[in-house]
Amino acid sequence: MADSELTLLAGDVVERAKRAGAAGVFATVSRRKNVELQRRDGATERLVESTSRSVSVQLYVDGRFSSQSTTDLRPDRLDGFLADAVALTRALQADPARQLTDPALYPKALPALDVLDPALVAGLTFEQQSAWVETMEAEARKSDRVISVTSNVSFDHGRSACATSNGFVGEGASTSIWPSVEVTLRDEGDKRAADGFGFGARYAADLPDPAEIGRKALAMTVARLGSKKAPTQRTTMVVDPQAAASLISRLLAPANAQAFQQGRSFLLGKQGAAIASKKLSIMDDPLLPRGFGTRPFDGEGIASVARPIVEGGVLRNIYVDTYYGRKAGLPVTSGSPSNRVVALGDKDRDRWIKDVKKGILVTSWMGGNADNNSGDFSFGIRGHIIEKGKIGAPIGEMNVTGNLVALFGTLVGVGNDPWRASSIVAPTLVFDGVQFAGA
Amino acid sequence: MPSRRSFLSASAAGLGVLTMPAWLAGCAHKGAPAVEVSTTPIAPPPLNPFYTWFGVDDGVLSALLGELGKNGATLADVYFQHARNNAITLEDGIVSSASASIDQGVGLRTVIGDQQGFAFTEELTMEAMLGAARTAASIAKGSAVAPPLSFSLHEANSPLYTLAVPWGQIGVDQKLPILSQVEGYAKAMDPAITKVSVNWTDNEERVLVATLDGRVHLDVRPMTRLWVTVTATKGGQTLSNSANLAGRRGIGWYDEPTLRQLAKDAVDRTMVLFDARRPPAGEMPVVLAAGASGILLHEAIGHGLEADFNRTKTSIYTDMVGKPIAADFVTIVDSGVEPQERGAIAFDDEGNPTERTVLVEKGVLKGYLHDQISANAYKVKPSGSGRRQSFRFQPLPRMRCTFMEDGPHSKEEIIASVKNGIVAETFTNGVVQIGAGDFTFYIKNGWLIENGKVTSPIKDVNIIGNGPEALKKVTMAANDSKLDSGGWTCGKDGQGVPVSQGLPTVLVSSMTVGGVNG
Repeated sequence: MADSELTLLAGDVVERAKRAGAAGVFATVSRRKNVELQRRDGATERLVESTSRSVSVQLYVDGRFSSQSTTDLRPDRLDGFLADAVALTRALQADPARQLTDPALYPKALPALDVLDPALVAGLTFEQQSAWVETMEAEARKSDRVISVTSNVSFDHGRSACATSNGFVGEGASTSIWPSVEVTLRDEGDKRAADGFGFGARYAADLPDPAEIGRKALAMTVARLGSKKAPTQRTTMVVDPQAAASLISRLLAPANAQAFQQGRSFLLGKQGAAIASKKLSIMDDPLLPRGFGTRPFDGEGIASVARPIVEGGVLRNIYVDTYYGRKAGLPVTSGSPSNRVVALGDKDRDRWIKDVKKGILVTSWMGGNADNNSGDFSFGIRGHIIEKGKIGAPIGEMNVTGNLVALFGTLVGVGNDPWRASSIVAPTLVFDGVQFAGA
Repeated sequence: MPSRRSFLSASAAGLGVLTMPAWLAGCAHKGAPAVEVSTTPIAPPPLNPFYTWFGVDDGVLSALLGELGKNGATLADVYFQHARNNAITLEDGIVSSASASIDQGVGLRTVIGDQQGFAFTEELTMEAMLGAARTAASIAKGSAVAPPLSFSLHEANSPLYTLAVPWGQIGVDQKLPILSQVEGYAKAMDPAITKVSVNWTDNEERVLVATLDGRVHLDVRPMTRLWVTVTATKGGQTLSNSANLAGRRGIGWYDEPTLRQLAKDAVDRTMVLFDARRPPAGEMPVVLAAGASGILLHEAIGHGLEADFNRTKTSIYTDMVGKPIAADFVTIVDSGVEPQERGAIAFDDEGNPTERTVLVEKGVLKGYLHDQISANAYKVKPSGSGRRQSFRFQPLPRMRCTFMEDGPHSKEEIIASVKNGIVAETFTNGVVQIGAGDFTFYIKNGWLIENGKVTSPIKDVNIIGNGPEALKKVTMAANDSKLDSGGWTCGKDGQGVPVSQGLPTVLVSSMTVGGVNG
């Protein structure tokens, strides 16, 4: 592996921190270039280009711990920063569970990842970005109800390097690109229907055609016109792939050692037990090609290993970092999710809808929250009525309320149509007997 | 993916801030030259401590603005920021983690009409800053605007939030006892309590804004927050909840009565959950308790009156200025001048003075919250509402401290007027769709009203309504308006800014409550 500039700097920070008095050091140096072009109603609205960089360190001093970061990398300021950081750490209380990552968990060799697009490293030219936003906008304007169309394309290239005082050095880089269109249409009275469509990919070549994104953005907004509240009811809920990730994220939010150790998890004591119907299986896969959660190692330097989180509805693994693993007496896995990939079913959203006599299709969530202790949730929704196997009138201003474990117990269908522009790769989900509040 | 979706959050954004590494202020003088804010008349520019810190002088600012204006500009600005953030966590009885960060850089912006070019750099070298200015200037295609050669200096030194002892002079040894004190109070309040965790943050931002029309504004903006989470086990069930305090305040704020009350709030909000249930689902009257219920205003009308959404005609309120939109006892204000509140700001992030902006007066919609771009478009004075999360972002029209003034009713008559409904008391987050006007907010704690009386506790329900319709349904407002001291963060277009809110006890005659039937 080439000793790049970032890796050298990370190593230098470790040495400087040790000289300042730290016994253990985990240093990360990051750099990220971001370029964005936004067009609104026929003219460039915003053009942004910047490169950001920062240094962060985790320090272990006399059995004490702190984490620090700075964007002021002038060498004199950096030394002062580290001296102060060590002094701060000494002022805290000792905690035997605060330890650097076990070196046995570091990767023996860094895996080859498929997340860096040479075309995005080189960067799109202004003309290429302009072509994207102009084409997307032109398609999205094809309605006489258009009030405003905003089209945006942004891409980034990030690289970060880690070095530790117990022998780990690693570096990773990735790119991503995000085209999106937002459309506002005249609706009834003073109301506007607003929606849009966006997509993201690690490689520019994986994006759909810009005209297609513009068309979808307009179609999704047109579908919102005349949205009304439906009656309060218990019925079947079909969750669109674009909205499914959010539910998976809520279910797994307390699947970690901190929540377990602090007693704030409805999954506590459920490892090896059912937390969902047999239809649900989720893998955490840090090596997923072109995934948004793909990484060579985690934030503690722990090697990337794929693990089942949920298998046939049974909770298999939770996220365990070094600190809370030691505190809770749990074996360390990784403290943070990578790509969470939901196992697929055998038909897509519209074929699932065909089997629904009466129900509600949720296309997006609107606010709401969930309690990590009880699993109780209540979310606002937007979507459509389903009648006799067909998508009907648009609905909004409604809530869906229940308990996450109970809800996932009623998961009766899983699609084969995953939404990939997310680190949670989830398809259509179908639930029975869900409480909706409306008119 | 960019999103114009706008939201308000206590817990989510709060935790985001808490996990952010931060700088320990008390040690700053040893490693880095502390910036002293002068209370005496402004020194000549070369001696100005802000200039010294950022390594600039009038010549540098002029050169940067010259580069920003080289292809023409309606306005241009340079925004230097140095932020020190400290966070400390007490968990399981010990403080075994603290984090500190320094976030420093400069954002450079060229505006031509309503088009913006923007770039930032953390590297404060002339080469890096001029490179960023060139990027920003590429938005324009016209002829150069000459930059100012000298600047008028405006130092905020605002009585709104200037601290007697700045956070930079407070050592960690002075902070740790406060965390232990709150923990002790909370633990002693109920034998069912199994865990108490306390999260502390203090922040200090130094801001220098230089504008193409020759002004330099300087400000020091403090912030602190204390967050207590209580976990209790009773009858085989474990539940937790939290309470927090936040403001542009110093360490003296955390006196014994304040800390006791914070601990009590966290304990009460947790213990009541053991008896709480879900209300019925559907439309019903909602009584909003005084204080944090200002979340209603933030979502139902505040975002919709940010001028960018009206300039582009994407807000449901676009054509409503001058029209009655609520009962005549409804007056709604967005103010930057509420002392020591999270939303207080002496001048905005474009260097415009802040003010108390009346949005709705006696039921009539008066106007919008403006940044400089929208003020130019509407040919009005900016309201000092152009705010940004940091030097990494361009300013947008934003709320500051949004509240409703007192109404003519009393809390008691409001409750008595409701046959069956709920009281909403504490909240975690809310969101609004600017175009359709639909908004939601999430109730963590509340109460059922049955036959005009507050009966049993409720929990965990989302409320959903439509902005203009909900305002029309504000049928009663009490004479007990107060501001909430919680740490609210407002999100818009990917940027979070600190805000405050307030409300008297208010009755909304009908909203959709996400409860459970049967």
